[in-house]
Amino acid sequence: MRQEATRRGVLAAAVSLPLLAAGCKGVGALGNPPPPLPDVAVVRDAIEGETLMISRYDAVLAAMPALAGSLHPLLLQHREHLARLRARLIDARASGPPGHRATASPAVAHVPGTAAAARAYLQHAEQAAAAALLGKLTATPPSLAQLLASIAASEATHALLLGPGRQTV
Amino acid sequence: MSASATAAVATPAVRALQTALDAENAAVYGYGPVGAHLTGTMQKAAVRYWVAHQMARDTLAAMITALGAQPVAAAAAYQLPFPVHDEQTAAALAALLEDRVAAAYLGLVALSDARLRMFGARALQSAALRATSWRGQSLAFPGLEVPAAGPVPAGSAPSRPSTRPSAPASPTAGGGSPSPTGPVGG
Repeated sequence: MRQEATRRGVLAAAVSLPLLAAGCKGVGALGNPPPPLPDVAVVRDAIEGETLMISRYDAVLAAMPALAGSLHPLLLQHREHLARLRARLIDARASGPPGHRATASPAVAHVPGTAAAARAYLQHAEQAAAAALLGKLTATPPSLAQLLASIAASEATHALLLGPGRQTV
Repeated sequence: MSASATAAVATPAVRALQTALDAENAAVYGYGPVGAHLTGTMQKAAVRYWVAHQMARDTLAAMITALGAQPVAAAAAYQLPFPVHDEQTAAALAALLEDRVAAAYLGLVALSDARLRMFGARALQSAALRATSWRGQSLAFPGLEVPAAGPVPAGSAPSRPSTRPSAPASPTAGGGSPSPTGPVGG
C-alpha cells in the first residue's frame, strides 16, 4: 500500500514541521516513529531473502564455475526479483542499498563440496524461500500479494530445475 | 473467450474464479492437440496434466456454484495460437496454456479472502511448474509476465517432463482448500 506509506510520511512531516517551526521541544512527546507498515516489513523480508539467495548462488558459482550454465539463468531471475521488490520499497530510510547486510550471511560459509550437493543445497533453499513467501501472502495488499506469489512460483520452478533429474553438467 | 455468458451480479471472487475456469477450459481443450503430437513419456505427462486441468476445472465450477453463480461454459472449440504439428510446437503450446492458466490464477491472489488467495497462489505455482517442465526454463514472474505466444520459445528445446513426475502434483495444501491440480498420479 504505497499510497498509505507515502501519506503517513506526509502526515508525519505535516505534524512535526509546525512544532519545529515554533521552536517547540515537544517533538519527543509524539513518541517514537511509527513502526514500518506491515507491507513494508514484508517487502524488506523478501528483499533480504532474495539477497541471501543471490549470495548463495554467487558462492556456489565462485566455488564451481562449471555450474554456470545451469545456475546463471536462475541467478539472473533472482536479480530481477530483487529489483522488483526494491522498486516496491518507498521508504526513504531504505534509500541506501537495501539488504546488503545479508551478503555476508553465514549460510554462504559452507558451500557443499560436490556439484550434486550444491544443486541440492540451492534446491532446498529455493523451496524454503517459496514456502516463506507463500506464508506472507494473506496479510499484504493485493498487488504485493501477486508479486510475492509470482516470485514464490518462480522459486518453486527453480527448485524443479535444480532437481536431480535435471543435471545438465 | 466465453466468460460473458453469466449475467448475475458477479462479485470479485466470482469474476476471478470464472476467469480461472475459462483458462482451465482452454487448457483442457488445448491439451488434446498437444497430446496428439507427443509420444512416450512426454505424452504421458500431457495426459497427466490434462487430467489435472479437468479436475481443476471441476473444482472451480463447484466453487463458483457454491457462491451462487453459474460457471462459464467451455467453448466448443478454441483457436490455437499457432499450428501444432510436431513435438516442439506441442510442447510450446502446452507451456503457453500453462502460462495463461498461471496468469488467470493470479487474479485470485488479489482477492481479500485469504483462503482464495492461497488457493490461487498454489494453483499458480502448479501451473508454473508444468510450464517449466515443458519449456525447460523458468520465468522470473510466472503469471505476472506471460511470454508472447510463439511456436518456439526463444532459445529453448522441449524438455522431458518425465524427469519431474512429482513436482506439479505438490500443492502443499494447508487448510481445507481443494487442490487445483488434484492428485496427479506419480
